[in-house]
Amino acid sequence: MVALVIGLALFFDFTNGFHDTANAMATPIATGAIKPKTAVTLAAILNLVGAFLSTEVAKTVSGGIIREGSDGVQITPDIIFAGLMGAILWNMITWLKGLPSSSSHALFGGLIGAAIAGIGFNSVNLETLLQKVILPAIFAPLIAGLVAYLCTRLAYALTSRHDPETGSKLTQKRGGFRTGQIFTSSLVALAHGTNDAQKTMGIITLVLISAGTQSPGSGPQFWVIAACALAIAVGTYAGGWRIIRTMGSGLTEVKPAQGFAAETSTASAILASSHLGFALSTTQVASGSVIGSGMGRKGTTVRWNMVGRIALGWLFTLPAAGVVGALTALLVKTGVVGVVIAAVAGTAAVLFMFAYSRKSAVGHHNAVEVEEAGQAVRFSKKKAFARARAKANQHKDVQR
Amino acid sequence: MKWLELLTVAGATLVSAVTVVVLYSLGVRLTAIAGDARQASPRSKRYFAYTCFGLCGMAVMFGLYLIIPYFSK
Repeated sequence: MVALVIGLALFFDFTNGFHDTANAMATPIATGAIKPKTAVTLAAILNLVGAFLSTEVAKTVSGGIIREGSDGVQITPDIIFAGLMGAILWNMITWLKGLPSSSSHALFGGLIGAAIAGIGFNSVNLETLLQKVILPAIFAPLIAGLVAYLCTRLAYALTSRHDPETGSKLTQKRGGFRTGQIFTSSLVALAHGTNDAQKTMGIITLVLISAGTQSPGSGPQFWVIAACALAIAVGTYAGGWRIIRTMGSGLTEVKPAQGFAAETSTASAILASSHLGFALSTTQVASGSVIGSGMGRKGTTVRWNMVGRIALGWLFTLPAAGVVGALTALLVKTGVVGVVIAAVAGTAAVLFMFAYSRKSAVGHHNAVEVEEAGQAVRFSKKKAFARARAKANQHKDVQR
Repeated sequence: MKWLELLTVAGATLVSAVTVVVLYSLGVRLTAIAGDARQASPRSKRYFAYTCFGLCGMAVMFGLYLIIPYFSK
């Protein structure tokens, strides 16, 4: 059972990385700052590094949402197995729909559902749930969106160039932001690694402790850290292209300066929150930033019906993963046969979704259409610039 | 409720993001000016631009330094 749970936890880590590549790399891919393949490779490496950098979060995972320990209930590997099942299935469904949804919420939801079904309603700490999951879910996109909005306005205000004599627009030369995007998106990927790989480490450590192979209160062992870091890196490299498409071009059109502002806000929000202890979801912060930066640039429209779909997905994340977790917990309760049925059914569901996704494959080649435009611009950059300059000069001459 | 923590996070996010974006934007702006052919003093502008990028990079590094527990021990 322990081995099964560890395997499942690592697979959850894989889906987590897979799901969240978009947070870091959707905007630079959309603006053509980095080529898709390079982007996911970079993100994977940085996730790997980030996972090794800090294991603070791992020590406080599940953070008292389920009353564990001596005075509360004992979390068994069964419950964790059920919870992970719920989280993985919900991650796969949202990926199929191309919805960026929080992997941590799916995990919490699955665990909560499993605990309620397996132990009872009093096993869940409602106040902590409100404080650690529901409130951050409301404020994460708000804070990130507002900051990204301000940053986008600032970036455009500071770089808008007008001819001092005639007041006509000069070439704006904002290409520098495209280079900047490489750094900011790397920062987001790093932040993601320091945050999200920790959750799986915490889960595996929890399993090892509950199975009695590790002393309570100790941190994650080295092989656990290494395995989790690898799993999330591989997942990131596999790339959830469907979600990248949504984040990169589904919400709003992203220009380099906007992308730069959005990524800076995302990175600061995640790093600030994980450092100061008010955990915010990476996905929700990133989506909020993209929307905020979309509102910050003049002449851009935010596709609100897409925003609505994503928000709906967020609302359902916790209960849906919870229901799957609860069902699995009930199955597992019946004994070994139940565990086998649950494992087989889960694998079948995942395989089915993979097969289904093949029907309309979204890969690095067609994730974002803007990407081709970006490359085209890169190839004929000098020519385009020369043309633009010539045009501007002509314009001036005419006005004179 | 942890309203204070929430406010701290919001404030820290705002300050750090605005710092980085303003510095980088200034850098981009100054590079653009320095790239103009008919400017009086392109050389100094270019140095200013590099200074801005450098400061921006340092701000990011400082943020990372604060966050990675290995350094702050």
